[in-house]
Amino acid sequence: MTRPRRPVVGIVGNDVPRQLVLASGATPHRVTGSWTGDVDPVARDLLGAADAVAGRILSQVRAGRLDCDALVVCADSQANVRLFYVLRSIAPELPLHLVDLPRAPSTAARRFARFQFAGLVAFLTGLTGQALDAAALARSADAERALGSALERLRARRRAEPPQCSGALALEALLDAARLDPADAVVRVDGARSDVPQTAVRVHLTGSSHPDAGLYRALEEQGCVIVSEDHDTGDGAWLGVAVDAATVEEAIDGLVDRHFDRVGGSATASSAARALLTRDTALLGAARGVGGVIRELDEAPAWDVPDQAELLGEIGVALHVQTRVHPGDELRAVRELARDLTGAAAA
Amino acid sequence: MTGRTAASDRLPSAAEATAYQREWFHSLAARVDGGESLALANADAPHEVLRSLGVPYVVNQWWSSIISAKRAGPGSLGSVAARGLPDYSRQYDVLPLGAQDLPADRAPWGGLPEPRFAITERGGDVTHKIFEQWGRRAGTETFLLSRTAAVPAPEGWWDLVDHRWEDVFGAERIDLLQGEIEELIAWLEERLDRALDRARLAEVMALANEQAEWNRRTRDLLAAARPLPVPVTDIIPSVMVPQWHRGTRWAVDAARRLHDDVADRIGRGVAVWPGERRRLMWIGRGLWSDLEMYRAFQEEFGAVFVWSMYLAIAADGYARYGDDPVRALAARFVGLTDLLYVPPMSSSWYVKEALGHGVDGVVHLVADDTPGGALISAALEERGIPVLEIRGSNADARSIAGVRERIGAFLRDRVPARA
Repeated sequence: MTRPRRPVVGIVGNDVPRQLVLASGATPHRVTGSWTGDVDPVARDLLGAADAVAGRILSQVRAGRLDCDALVVCADSQANVRLFYVLRSIAPELPLHLVDLPRAPSTAARRFARFQFAGLVAFLTGLTGQALDAAALARSADAERALGSALERLRARRRAEPPQCSGALALEALLDAARLDPADAVVRVDGARSDVPQTAVRVHLTGSSHPDAGLYRALEEQGCVIVSEDHDTGDGAWLGVAVDAATVEEAIDGLVDRHFDRVGGSATASSAARALLTRDTALLGAARGVGGVIRELDEAPAWDVPDQAELLGEIGVALHVQTRVHPGDELRAVRELARDLTGAAAA
Repeated sequence: MTGRTAASDRLPSAAEATAYQREWFHSLAARVDGGESLALANADAPHEVLRSLGVPYVVNQWWSSIISAKRAGPGSLGSVAARGLPDYSRQYDVLPLGAQDLPADRAPWGGLPEPRFAITERGGDVTHKIFEQWGRRAGTETFLLSRTAAVPAPEGWWDLVDHRWEDVFGAERIDLLQGEIEELIAWLEERLDRALDRARLAEVMALANEQAEWNRRTRDLLAAARPLPVPVTDIIPSVMVPQWHRGTRWAVDAARRLHDDVADRIGRGVAVWPGERRRLMWIGRGLWSDLEMYRAFQEEFGAVFVWSMYLAIAADGYARYGDDPVRALAARFVGLTDLLYVPPMSSSWYVKEALGHGVDGVVHLVADDTPGGALISAALEERGIPVLEIRGSNADARSIAGVRERIGAFLRDRVPARA
């Protein structure tokens, strides 16, 4: 007898605790868009001046290419919030939910975050028809923590001398992991291994998030290896996190704590917090250079650059950033970035 | 009928408001020199707390407009770039930060005294980073409030929002902002070493509501008036200057003066253009680089602009009544921007206003950073109101090149003249 198919919940953004999705009987599927591909003109008009990646997600939905039973959008960037508003207006048939988390851990913010997660649970259980209970929460916590362990192993391989996994393979595994059940995700992540040339320049990547691994591959083909990153589709993705809880309320409380403990994506973090994360992660990976590609209309990362440069300068690591990168101009930007990074390393 | 008002025949309330604003600003430096703490607050921050605590404040976006008008924008953006920060991002919001580094003789009106407090809600991806920079200046501290998204987002909010705001915005969103405003109050009380008088805050809220009521009456007068008695370019300063003095008796009186000026012109039968045959709505920010544009279609097309968002949102968006002034204040700001930009709240409101003012066509300036523009245009077109969309920035003349020609063609081709 085959098991009934679990509903697939598309997730745009990085604020959804997978433990709650899994415990509700659904499979989380992170929707990230891509670096390349057309943005249909209607989608562009509807979103206005938003990151092209959001435009590609909207194009995907409009073309019926979103293979999900429902969509949860996180209010962790204005592009995502706009996407939610537009979908609410033009796609009333799509089960749609917004997760809107505050960023500073005040008493009032914690209360609102609890309300948001409770709303998410209600949406999910309405979709699956499966109420959360202690057993389901425990099962999903164990499974998600196993993924967390696999991610630690992946980080260790990337930080090895020489690395035992390229950045492109690692990012592909991370993106896939965010679309799979934890058990499959563990297999996928543990399978991410490759030889890396001794001569490759060790690079930490910051700037805009990477919706696919295309630019990682291009950078690594030109003599770099990306040993770590601090953007929120890579190692900054909220994956492998779970809490022990006897009730849904306890689980929500624990996950609210975890939310406020992390450094979010650039659009939500302070520049000071993100710069500290950049420096500390680059140090752990013994990166010789830090690079970033910042998309046009993804404005927040550009505001972090001076703080990042200052902190990295204190540890003798150079920062190279390509800013205002327009659609179609990504490969040129990566070539220049690679030249800067490898040139600096050779000097 | 008296006939066409001359361009020089400025509305007295507009002239008074502009003069008052300049005089008030010049008094700021003296107050700060005398030991008072100045606050820089974003437009959607709860100014009424500052007013009640007796803290003078400057609104970030208003100060930006002065910097732009005084041609100090390029120098200010140069200062931003010199710090390694992007000078192409959120320019309207960041100008004051850059202007603080200008020498006094290049700064508008001698420059803004250094603020002690910088307060904003986290609008967009960048505002909090701009205010983070303010907090690094010697003597300035930053306070950030949360910004939540518009869930729920009902149509028909204008009939509910002044009293039944819990229904419009949802109790949880208001709970959050109320809690954070209480934290802001405690933060300010500690630094100022004085306590907020809640009765005083209630008075400030009442004055702000009274001001909104005058604005509503004025809006209703203009909606019903045929022909249009006052150019829209006079209405805007008459509304917006008092808005930044909200919660004072002066602001209430200024709003009433505007109302009385409008009523007087209606009573005297004044017409901006006696041969009015097309009534137009301008959605979006004002085109301040070309104010004459608003009059450019009168002679050939009998077309007058009868509406801008500035008076309309002042009429419908600000009043909040309630026994708890902090909660009512949270309800004022929790979704103010949503009313203008988030569909279906925004789109249904623009349709209501278009119908109420009897407009024959809409010119819709869709700026880069304003969401939902296409949905607003579609809602108007569905009601049979033709819309011309112009994509561009009101602050960048290059992006709106040829706008007069496009509006002319729009009027000729799509907006029939009334008999």
